[in-house]
Amino acid sequence: MRTEQDTLTIMPNRLQAKQGEVIDRSTTIRFTFDGREYSAHPGDTVASALTAAGVKVLSRSFKYHRPRGLLCCAGHCPNCLVQIGDEPNVRACTRPVEAGMEVQAQNVWPSLKRDLLSLTELGSRFMPVGFYYKTFIRPQKLWPLYEHTLRHAAGLGEAHIDTPPGEFDKQYLHTDVVVAGGGPAGISAALTAAEAGAQVLLFDENPTLGGHLRFTIPLESPSSTEVSKDSPELLEAVNQQPNITVFTDTSVLGWYQDNWLCAVKGTRLLKIRTKSMVVATGAYEMPLIFDNNDLPGVMLGGAVQRLVHLFGVLPGKQVVIVTANEDGWDLAADLHSLGVNVAAIVDEREPNACASPYRDGLVNAGVPVFYRHIILEAIGSSAVRGVMIARLDEHSKISRVTTQSLQCDLIVTSIGWTPATELAYMAGGKSEYNSDRAEILPVSTPPGIYVVGRAAGIHVVDSQITEAQQAGSNAAAFAGFGEFDEAAAQSPGVIEPRRTSDRVCVPGNKKRFVCYCEDVTDQDVETAIAEGYDSIELLKRYSTISMGPCQGAMCSMNTIHLCARANGSTVQETGTTTARPPITPVTLGALAGQNMEPVQITPIHQWHLDHSADMMVAGLWLRPNHYGNPVAEALCVRNRVGLIDVSPLGKLQLTGPGVPELLERIYINQWRNLRAGRVRYGVMCNDEGVVLNDGVCAHLRDDTWYMTTTSTGATTVFEWLQWWLQSGWGEGVHLTDLTDNYSAFNVAGPQSRAVLEKLTDRNLANKAFPYMRIRSARIAGVLCRLLRIGFTGELSYEVHCPSGYAVHVWEALMDAGREFGIAPFGVEAQRILRLEKGHIIVGQDTDAMSDPLSANMAWAVKLDKPDFLGKPSLMRIFAEGPKQLLVGFKMVEPDVVPAEGLQIVVPEMDGQLEIIGWVTSSRFSPTLEEVIGLCWLPTEIASQNGTSFSIRMDGHIAEARVHHGAFYDPDGERLRM
Amino acid sequence: MSIQLIRQAFSGDRPPPKMWRSHELKEQYDVVIIGGGAHGLACAYYLAKEHGITNVAVLEKSYIGAGGSGRNTAIIRSNYLTPEGVRFYDESVKLYEQLSAELNFNVMFSQRGHLTLAHTDGGVNTMRRRAEVNQIEGVNSRLIFPDEIKSLCPYLDVSDHPRYPILAALYHPPGGIIRHDAVVWGYAHQADVRGIHIHQNTAVTGIEVQDGKATGVETTRGCIKTGTVLNATAGWASTITTMVGLQLPLITIPLQACVTEPLKPFLDVVVVSGSLHVYISQTDRGELVMGASVDPFSSYSMAGSLTFLEGIAGHVLELFPSLSHVRILRQWAGICEMPPDYSPIMGFTPVDGFLIDVGWGTYGFKASPIAGKTLAELIATGKTPTLIAPFRLSRFEENNLVGEKGAAAVGH
Repeated sequence: MRTEQDTLTIMPNRLQAKQGEVIDRSTTIRFTFDGREYSAHPGDTVASALTAAGVKVLSRSFKYHRPRGLLCCAGHCPNCLVQIGDEPNVRACTRPVEAGMEVQAQNVWPSLKRDLLSLTELGSRFMPVGFYYKTFIRPQKLWPLYEHTLRHAAGLGEAHIDTPPGEFDKQYLHTDVVVAGGGPAGISAALTAAEAGAQVLLFDENPTLGGHLRFTIPLESPSSTEVSKDSPELLEAVNQQPNITVFTDTSVLGWYQDNWLCAVKGTRLLKIRTKSMVVATGAYEMPLIFDNNDLPGVMLGGAVQRLVHLFGVLPGKQVVIVTANEDGWDLAADLHSLGVNVAAIVDEREPNACASPYRDGLVNAGVPVFYRHIILEAIGSSAVRGVMIARLDEHSKISRVTTQSLQCDLIVTSIGWTPATELAYMAGGKSEYNSDRAEILPVSTPPGIYVVGRAAGIHVVDSQITEAQQAGSNAAAFAGFGEFDEAAAQSPGVIEPRRTSDRVCVPGNKKRFVCYCEDVTDQDVETAIAEGYDSIELLKRYSTISMGPCQGAMCSMNTIHLCARANGSTVQETGTTTARPPITPVTLGALAGQNMEPVQITPIHQWHLDHSADMMVAGLWLRPNHYGNPVAEALCVRNRVGLIDVSPLGKLQLTGPGVPELLERIYINQWRNLRAGRVRYGVMCNDEGVVLNDGVCAHLRDDTWYMTTTSTGATTVFEWLQWWLQSGWGEGVHLTDLTDNYSAFNVAGPQSRAVLEKLTDRNLANKAFPYMRIRSARIAGVLCRLLRIGFTGELSYEVHCPSGYAVHVWEALMDAGREFGIAPFGVEAQRILRLEKGHIIVGQDTDAMSDPLSANMAWAVKLDKPDFLGKPSLMRIFAEGPKQLLVGFKMVEPDVVPAEGLQIVVPEMDGQLEIIGWVTSSRFSPTLEEVIGLCWLPTEIASQNGTSFSIRMDGHIAEARVHHGAFYDPDGERLRM
Repeated sequence: MSIQLIRQAFSGDRPPPKMWRSHELKEQYDVVIIGGGAHGLACAYYLAKEHGITNVAVLEKSYIGAGGSGRNTAIIRSNYLTPEGVRFYDESVKLYEQLSAELNFNVMFSQRGHLTLAHTDGGVNTMRRRAEVNQIEGVNSRLIFPDEIKSLCPYLDVSDHPRYPILAALYHPPGGIIRHDAVVWGYAHQADVRGIHIHQNTAVTGIEVQDGKATGVETTRGCIKTGTVLNATAGWASTITTMVGLQLPLITIPLQACVTEPLKPFLDVVVVSGSLHVYISQTDRGELVMGASVDPFSSYSMAGSLTFLEGIAGHVLELFPSLSHVRILRQWAGICEMPPDYSPIMGFTPVDGFLIDVGWGTYGFKASPIAGKTLAELIATGKTPTLIAPFRLSRFEENNLVGEKGAAAVGH
């Protein structure tokens, strides 16, 4: 049994238990940090547990490897980034600690405590901002070596190669009102909107609602209201309200067009469509820039309050509070009441400017107060040992003669806030610099977007609540619930006692960090501006300020102040950089969710596997490449009969009176005259006259048409048709994608009719069912669409059957064919057969430049049609004539198969090769016992049958000859048998 | 250690030298370049350096490099599909190789190798075709297979499990990444040193044309007389050509990209997959920079979409399944203007004195030095250099397109 005393030894900074804390002191769990074991209570974050144990240094900085400790404790700054197992760049201050967790410091060598990379700081004089642009230029040969060193010194956490993929998913939400942020303002807005009848989603990034009320003394305004400021009461009201759904531990990542929001809760991505939105995302506390302001032990006020109230952890024993407004006094009173030694309050204002209700109490209790004083420097090497302060003279200049040092182990700065308004700006909100408050505040938002609470610059809880109620009521009204509260539009603005200090930087003679992520100092900012990087955007890109993990949360406002000052312009003129999603970094896993692109298989897949098919990826599908011997499969089709699974073909059904007109416009050939029961080969082109896709289209009956597309182009054609249907050609056309609903097989070969006749009553005689016709037919009892077409050059039938019966029909065909020697054939045999027949494959034999004229499909182009896609381009192409042609060839040497993609060349005088064409398809033809292929050649060469040309193969040249017409059955007699 | 840095280190309070200065707008310039990106600034630099033409204004409506030059994914390569394209980009790569020394500014060109993955046998054929064209044109590219791919990029999943198996890749060793902003700043500095006026925050509102000849440019800061205007505004090019009444075969489409938090180096090569619409590289700072194909709709919006982020995350994890815990830090978009054949349009127009350097789609940044250099030559000599003759505007009327879709669509 562990005693209280033990706990104190292992967690020396733990305070006595008190109300409101989120840790469970009855249990102690263990975890490791950098190999050492530490204790924690459930509810602790990694950082709170380490702070309880007295650990001050959590990371090393990016450039100089300076020790860094907890700064914001709110998940915003980079100072507590650690590696936890396989997960890099975890914010230790928000990640709940788990038993057995292995936490590692990042980017240190050899260890966090003694990081030799910190020696880089010795050379920092030679490494000003952008130093890498000015060095390593000569000798050029050495740059790869320098780069290697730079790369290995940079980077934070590690991506481990064996990290398992993890499980992630997505949730879609639709709502009336989204409230982002669950502090007093957000809760009040949510309650009001919900009471008006709106469905409300309330998001907060913390484990519980309450916002700053969870860890601060609520700030009273002089005028009292009846509104309850009590966090538990607000929470109770939320629980009672059925129209509110609360998502805690959930960060809203961004606003996208049409109020499409994205949030993340652990491994789940939330995608939310809302009618209106209330932004109640609070504010980032601004750090102060002074000598050694990055020393572990310098913290923001909010960080200390979080540690004390949520986790019962006090990060120091002797505290100096540096402030410029009442926030610091609140903190002092808070700490003092807990018995903490407040060593001094350093306030830059005159005594009479301080309106804190706690002032007299603190002074009477003997807390030393330094008015008109400012911090100069944090003293210490790896942790705060003291502080240097100095007096401000009557011109607000630092009087260096008054410099004095105070002993302390914790410096808390509390100088003001940067409203967290990214969501409002992404949605189109505008901001202005308010010089009285020294904050950039939202001044206008698009309809349906409201900003409340600290995000709107309101700090007094009463005012937060009343303004939020108005916003909530208007957000509900915008969504259609209740009336608009016009008062909100004319709200005179609340008198705010808080003012953020615009003295963001105290000059000195050591390093003062503006940007913690990238180790950028105020000196760096000045240098960059002097060099000409004087706009906020150029400054950002050159200094990399605000481009690190904090994305400007800590540094953007200070940078704007510094930039304005250096340029002698105003904050308003300086402006801000663009807010870009995600507001909080989000994992690739959460964004990806579950894999929604499964491998597509046909209903016959298992049969193929059972019959030793070698499967290949074809577009989105897995298809049998062959069943052991593709040449034998091809010969079986030529001599007997074969069966191929062509289910991946795109199958689109078009119905309605507008279909013929649509087809006339989409295809280059004629459609109006196609009678019911007939099938026609069709070619589609884009505006440039380039062949997009080909396939057949059948006129089933009356207004019903059935289109097939290439397997790989199925999705593209569907989207292409949708595009045109939605762009004005949709009148009288209904489009349905039947690709998955129907399976398709091709029975090919001289015996194919005999096989089918065994399975159907339909008259298949050539006269009754000629080439290029479609018929409905029961095959093995299943109603199928039967198309007499083929790609192989043999008599063949394409059987389209409902996918549910596919296996039955397939097996029936195989059984019926047994006596005729049927064999299944795969993609490879089909490619051989079609090449023998000279049929092209769009996408293989054509590319993004191939028009139908040069691809030998001139016969399909009907330029006399009134209009169709690609017509203007094709008219010009026809007028000019083709510059090159797709043409067949035979190799001179019988056993040389040139790989597809090889180039056709002509040697030039200087030994160089000139490219004149390329090989698109090539195979050994088992029927002809020759090597045949298709290639692109200049028209003058291609148009002469038998002309020889050279193909570059593995460095040598192989000879080939142009071959006109199909290699096999050029007159197409076998198709029409 | 450069002299510059040593001087800066001991300069005390003296401010460092300015990279570029501000000027009043003059009444007349010999050449006005619209667009202060890498192309416009490179052209200005080569005009001054190689042709002694220094009475030149570069007009930028925002800050230099605000457009595509600062928004691209900084990939440099020359493994194109057409001989014309390969020759042109190869010259660009050669200029990039010397650029740090040329500009005395380290643009950090990192020739770490470029892999274009093939996931289908059709894809393998296309890669073979590119490798062959590249080799014939003297560019280092070859087809490699999973074992070698794995050794170049151990984090890639080359097993046969994924949806998109990796069957082969086009390996292009001279390809790599660069610090894109540095290219802009380096050219701007050297142009400024040679007396060229760079006018930031100066938007063009009109172009004066008299008798079919460009005579002046109207800006938000006043009018300028000039006989030569170069439109080098990439994504906004058609808004400028409209001012002289020209309609170009261009569509305007956003292109998106994103970046992760920094990681220790693990990805040495640039990896591109056309089938998955993704390209990914790791910067010297450790961030993964990733991009996709252009958006499906025409727009000038640079807001970026969630669909893009979700899509690219899924596709990156297809290739690199161990990266699921890596976090995206920010996303952004740029604007592209795409011609039908995915090749640029450079040179003369029917309006005398109005030249174009447009149609740069998704492949403009990597051509900056050679585009600037050849256009400077064209301006100085009045003759179109052979290297860019195939990219003339009249090719559309002549039906002489330079089809680069197969290598440029997702081939950044």
